[in-house]
Amino acid sequence: MSFVIATTIAEAVAAMASGARPIAGGTDLVVGARHGKAALPQHLVAIDRIEALLVVHDTADGVTIGSGVSHSVLESHPLLASAYSGLADASALVGSPSTRNLGTIGGNIMNASPAMDTGAPLLVLGAQVELQSMRGSRRVPLSELWTGPGRTSAAPDELCVMVHIPTPLVRSGSAYLRLEYRRAMEIAVVGAAACVVLDEDGFVVSASVALTAVAPTIIMVDGLHSLAGANVPEAAVRVGVLAAGQATPISDVRASAQYRRHTVGVMARRAVEAAARRAAGDIVAIPLNRAIGIGAAS
Amino acid sequence: MTATTTAITTSPPRFVRADGPDKVTGSGRYTADLSLTGVLAAKFRYANIGHARIVRLDVTAARAMPGVFAVLTADDVPDVRFGPFVQDRTLFARDVVRFEGEIVAAVAAVNAVVAQRAVDAIVVEYEPLPVINDIEAALSVESALVHPDWQSYGAADALVRDRNDASFASITKGDVGAGMAAADHIIESRYVADGCHAVPIEPRAVVAQWEGNKVTIWTTTQVPFDARAGVCETLQLPTNRVRIIVPHLGGGFGGKCGFHYEAHIAALARVAKRPVRLVFTRREEFIAPDRRRESIVFNIETGVLDDGTITARRAWLAMDNGAYTADAAFFSQLAAMHTAGPYRIPNVQVEAHLVYTNHQPSGSVRAPTAPQACWALESHTDEVAAAVGIDPVEFRRRNAVDTGAVGPSGQTYGEIGLQQCIDLAAGGAGYGQPLPDDEAIGVAIGWWPSFSVPSGAYIKIDGDGAGQIITGAQECGTGSVMTLRDLAADELGMKPEDFELVYQDTAVAPYDMGATGSQTLLNNGRAVIAAAGQVAEQLKKLAADHLEAAEADIVLADGHAYVAGTPATTVSLVELAGIAAGGQLLIGHGSSTPAEAPPLAGSSCVGDLGMAAFVAPQFSCHAVRVKLDRDTGVARVLHVSAAHDSGIIINPIGAHGQVEGAVMMGIGQALSEGTTYDDQARQRNAALLEYKLQTCADAPPILVQFVEIFTPDAGPRGAKGLAEAPNIATAAAISNALAKLIGRPVRQLPMTAERVWNTIQGDAS
Amino acid sequence: MTDSTTASGTFDVTLDVNGIAYPVHIEQDRNLLSVIRGEVGLTGTKEGCDDCECGACMVLLDGRPVNSCSYLAVQAQGRAITTIEGVMTGDDLHPLQQALLDEGGVQCGFCTPGMIMSAMALLADNPSPSEEQVRIGLSGNLCRCTGYTRIVAAVQRAAAVPHA
Ligand SMILES: Cc1cc2nc3c(=O)[nH]c(=O)nc-3n(C[C@H](O)[C@H](O)[C@H](O)COP(=O)(O)OP(=O)(O)OC[C@H]3O[C@@H](n4cnc5c(N)ncnc54)[C@H](O)[C@@H]3O)c2cc1C
Ligand code: FES
Ligand code: FES
Repeated sequence: MSFVIATTIAEAVAAMASGARPIAGGTDLVVGARHGKAALPQHLVAIDRIEALLVVHDTADGVTIGSGVSHSVLESHPLLASAYSGLADASALVGSPSTRNLGTIGGNIMNASPAMDTGAPLLVLGAQVELQSMRGSRRVPLSELWTGPGRTSAAPDELCVMVHIPTPLVRSGSAYLRLEYRRAMEIAVVGAAACVVLDEDGFVVSASVALTAVAPTIIMVDGLHSLAGANVPEAAVRVGVLAAGQATPISDVRASAQYRRHTVGVMARRAVEAAARRAAGDIVAIPLNRAIGIGAAS
Repeated sequence: MTATTTAITTSPPRFVRADGPDKVTGSGRYTADLSLTGVLAAKFRYANIGHARIVRLDVTAARAMPGVFAVLTADDVPDVRFGPFVQDRTLFARDVVRFEGEIVAAVAAVNAVVAQRAVDAIVVEYEPLPVINDIEAALSVESALVHPDWQSYGAADALVRDRNDASFASITKGDVGAGMAAADHIIESRYVADGCHAVPIEPRAVVAQWEGNKVTIWTTTQVPFDARAGVCETLQLPTNRVRIIVPHLGGGFGGKCGFHYEAHIAALARVAKRPVRLVFTRREEFIAPDRRRESIVFNIETGVLDDGTITARRAWLAMDNGAYTADAAFFSQLAAMHTAGPYRIPNVQVEAHLVYTNHQPSGSVRAPTAPQACWALESHTDEVAAAVGIDPVEFRRRNAVDTGAVGPSGQTYGEIGLQQCIDLAAGGAGYGQPLPDDEAIGVAIGWWPSFSVPSGAYIKIDGDGAGQIITGAQECGTGSVMTLRDLAADELGMKPEDFELVYQDTAVAPYDMGATGSQTLLNNGRAVIAAAGQVAEQLKKLAADHLEAAEADIVLADGHAYVAGTPATTVSLVELAGIAAGGQLLIGHGSSTPAEAPPLAGSSCVGDLGMAAFVAPQFSCHAVRVKLDRDTGVARVLHVSAAHDSGIIINPIGAHGQVEGAVMMGIGQALSEGTTYDDQARQRNAALLEYKLQTCADAPPILVQFVEIFTPDAGPRGAKGLAEAPNIATAAAISNALAKLIGRPVRQLPMTAERVWNTIQGDAS
Repeated sequence: MTDSTTASGTFDVTLDVNGIAYPVHIEQDRNLLSVIRGEVGLTGTKEGCDDCECGACMVLLDGRPVNSCSYLAVQAQGRAITTIEGVMTGDDLHPLQQALLDEGGVQCGFCTPGMIMSAMALLADNPSPSEEQVRIGLSGNLCRCTGYTRIVAAVQRAAAVPHA
């Protein structure tokens, strides 16, 4: 049994090479063990004190976020507030203030829950993760990372060090919305993220949409190239129909498959509308869930 | 007759609770905080199966494990069947398990990890029996029986029982057939409420320690004397060898009423010869105790004239009793009353069945049966109002009971404030003003009895003038015990801070029923005033001697005794206490006398457990503004306006807190709190993640108003109860708002987003 | 790097709780709450659930809110842990504690320590929060008694006290 508190990436990957599992905030790992979902791994390496993983910075081709950055940093980070607001929409919804304080983007991604909130916005923003091990480092697009509930294509000794998001195109906007039964401490019943690019006249150039909690992993909605040239309301409605059609949800104690299929269409439609408003330069407050609709402060 | 109507809408007067400093500093001790030298950890082995015969139970391996001090099964405790109304229960399962949370065995070990290993090492083999999962099916003659031996069980004489029907009650008044025949419209509705939970934030805990042949049990009960009685009955001990102490109690809401695990832990401690502590997990809290709010199926039918006059009401209801009969036996009659409702109806026929299933037993949770029955009846009432084209508020004004009216069970009311409540609640919500098309205001009325029962207290004042109130009453957070200081202080011309409270210890204080039935202030308040009155007499006598005046002329005020008319002729109470300490000690005792039940005229009750006559009835009206997302069915409560007649309000800040907390609980029941079962009768959502309480972010502004009317058979100064009443009408009002927005009611409770959406889609299932 | 490897699965660590160093000998999987309540001996921090949903166990770690029931005690080494017992200054109540008493924000009191810790973290970040911000800030702390109204009012009252 071991517990290593790493202060550098090198220490962390060395520990992982000898079989340790990383623990960042522990809000999935420890809660899961306490609740009896999975026993705590025997060998752990704490990565929450590695300074190099706590950075958020601008790069020539986008933004780079350290895997150890917490949701509470992301929800109000000035670099995310405009161009990457879909991600901030998601981080601001995670659990409670204490969950957001401890929970990290790296933990959220690597935990690979189909109900994770940052997954859909990261997918529509075209994000990649940088994985590092003693064997070297590689970049993996998120679309290739998740292989099933709780499963990724990363090797057990690979540490997620960075998340890279490319610079969005001009006149683009992103948004994430989830269905929740109460205004805090929720898990997405379903959710949808959209990234929309508009032309100068406000017509859709392109759109990408991803869905939460309606399949074994976060999924992208296919067939959106046909939206080019559409006006926003029409595009939003079509996305809603496509989203509902492509969802393959399960029934469980939170919702039936039928209800999930319907509501994911609603979330997708609204996410497209909000992303388009942001693309057009409107300010739509973060998180979108509390800015519009039922969750709005009255 | 004019009512004094006080609308306290802004900051009520400051009232700092005596237990407040303990609670805000973390120094106050709750049961799970206690530790005793050598204390062992207890764990239970549960059935984890809905209905089965035990074919093998082997604890040999568990007993042999190092660190295990005691493993108990039914064979290790006296063979006693117990239960407050039906003696259908044993401490440990005997031969058959009837719900997943039934205890098969108990372990005490050095720590919780070892105890759990021992629990896992117990071998139990089952032969499955048919699972009785549906209330209505359980009533049919073909249904398998939860208790094939039901006829052999001891039971209260008044109970009417038959097979899976553990308690049948009916209320009959007038001629319902004739009333229906005379009606212009007959409206029939069906509603189904799921069960739900009290969910105090503190899980249960019990610590037991034997010294010689006496046991002290620290426990999270709301009813220490009832818990003591349970221990004495099941372990066959006399009352004076069992002492129940309740440290600070982290909420109850009825969930911690009744006798729970005190006897199991005392039995373990006796065998282990060590103190033993049990602390529940949240999951155990959900599945094990016999205090789940009952699921109810309602069929309601009302006859009404074109002018909106109700001519008759007929209703049939079936309630989930669960596998054993806890205090739920009286729910049949109570639910029948709540389904008849606080209306002037000449012809009434309501029948209620309490049905055994393989679910966790039902038991008192904050206003048992009333929130569900109010939800069903008041949703139905809006359907009736719509059928005759009368605004729902106006419909209630015309039909609801008022001062001097006769209620559905034939009780004639004295001065009551229901009509004022309707006006205040609707007015406070801005009822009738235009709203956006995704918002609506729903209104519902409710009622609740006050429980007038025996209760005792002592007061003593020591030589330095410091007072103690030694009371059997139990504080569960509501503040009603805290308020006792004010009553004693007023009686004695002292300050509340001059008194310390000694409470929640059966060895030192006289009997009280406990923090149940909103009865504490009502009954123990009268006992405290009586006890203080005795001390006041003693002080007046001493002062009369000291001041050479007539006893009748002595006035106690501001910490002094003085002669009426000559305030300068005075002596301090501290000085008098010093004199008393050298002679006749200052000790008073008080006991409240139960009020007589009001008479009923023209009605008959089968299965009568005294619930058809309401002593000092409380009334309420809630008006709730709701916003609906029609695309998803997600609803949000934007504002609640609550008006209550709970008599004279003694502690306004505490009273506001009761209403606010109960309203939030009502919103949870309305929208998100409901237990669901799998086909093996196991709970599917026994965790806070899946059983959703409302959070701070969900809580709307709540306007609280009181109609204060003096009622002779109420408690001190005319106070009725209050802790339960405000939990009743909220879900119903939300339902009526949703029905306005959808165009038809949501017929299942909780009205989850998915059910709302299904209703919008036109699926009335 | 701190490297603790044991064959027995137990670790010797030092925890800083309310400014006092506590050497404790604990298993790897022990949560911080059980160590604070057990080895450290401070019972003001409460346990209300199994799935990190109630907030009764809230403590501050380097001033930030953490559900101690779901945080490994070994991971708290080297960080400053504040519990409800560390909130008063000498004999003086913290303004939040006083405000909860004055507003009637305490009923059974079981949620109260956790509420206070969350409110302290909130006010440290945002000294004059709006009502909505208070409600979001306390959204990880369930209270079954009060309906939250008076707790929210207390936090706003405390925020108005200088140096809260
Ligand atoms: C009360 C509560 C509410 C929650 N609400 C939400 C919510 O609304 N939305 C949501 O999406 N999630 C929610 N979560 C889940 C969780 O908080 C998030 O997924 C969080 O982002 C996880 O981060 P962490 O640092 O705590 O992960 P950890 O628990 O530390 O790790 C999670 C997993 O990822 C692995 N891991 C962590 N970091 C790395 C890394 N850098 N490289 C490789 N592997 C790594 C770990 O080994 C582990 O398997 C909630 C959790 C709780 C307890
Ligand atoms: S004990 Fe409930 S969140 Fe920690
Ligand atoms: S005061 Fe009881 S849970 Fe908050």
